[in-house]
Amino acid sequence: MDSQKVDLFVMTNGKFFESHQVGQIRDRLVSLDDSKWNIVQTLQFKDPTVSLIVSLLGGTLGIDRFFIGDTGLGIGKLLTCGGLGVWAIIDWFLIMGATREKNLTKLQQMM
Amino acid sequence: MLVKRIRLYLFILISCAVGYAWLLFAFFSGNTEKENPIEVCLIKHVTDIPCPSCGSTRAALSLLHGNISESLVINPFGLIIVLLMTVAPPWIFYDLVTRKDTFQKYYISIEVFIRKPKIAITFSLLVLINWIWNISKGL
Repeated sequence: MDSQKVDLFVMTNGKFFESHQVGQIRDRLVSLDDSKWNIVQTLQFKDPTVSLIVSLLGGTLGIDRFFIGDTGLGIGKLLTCGGLGVWAIIDWFLIMGATREKNLTKLQQMM
Repeated sequence: MLVKRIRLYLFILISCAVGYAWLLFAFFSGNTEKENPIEVCLIKHVTDIPCPSCGSTRAALSLLHGNISESLVINPFGLIIVLLMTVAPPWIFYDLVTRKDTFQKYYISIEVFIRKPKIAITFSLLVLINWIWNISKGL
C-alpha cells in the first residue's frame, strides 16, 4: 500500500491503538495490497475515551463491556453488580486498554 | 486462540471461586434472605436506589435453602447466577482435561446470539423491568 495513505491512516486512527502497536500496524499496512485500502479506510473504531466515560457512569451495569463488544463479560458484570463493585473500579483502569485491543482485533480481521 | 481460551477459562474459574467465597462469607456472616448487613453495591450507596442485580446474594442464599419461589421473588438474577456458577466450572474442567474448546465455542455463539438487535432489546427490557420491580420492592 502507498506509504502516504498508510501515514494518513496512522495519523487519523493512531489514538485508537496502543502506542507500541502503531509501528507494527504501519508495517503491516504498507505490505498490504492496495485493493484493501477502501475497507481499511472505512473501518469504524471505538474511542477509548468514550469507553472510559461509559465505564465511569455505567460500569456497575456492565455497559462499558457491552459497548466494546465483550457481551459475555458485560452480562457477568450486570449480574454481579459490577463484580461486587470491585471489578467495576478495576475496569476504570483497564477499559481503555481493552478498547484498544478490540480495535486491533477488528483491524487484524480486515487484514 | 489458545491464549485467549486459557485467559477466558481462568477468568471464569476465578470469578466462580470469588462467587463461592462471597456466598460462604454471606452465609456465615448472618446474611439472611430478608436482612442484608453487608452492601457492596456502588449504585445503592451513591443514589440509595437498588441496582438491577441488588438482592441476588439473598436470592442465591434462599435458593440454597431450597426456597425457589422466594428466591425468584427476591431477584430472578440469583437463579441465573447459581445456574452459571454450577454449570461453568465442571464444563471448563472437562474442556481442560480433554483439551477441547466446547465451552469457548458455546460462549462465543451465545455472545453472537445476544448481540442480535431483537434479542438484545428483549433482554434489555427484561433487565429494565426487573430493575423497576427491584425499586418497587425496595430491596
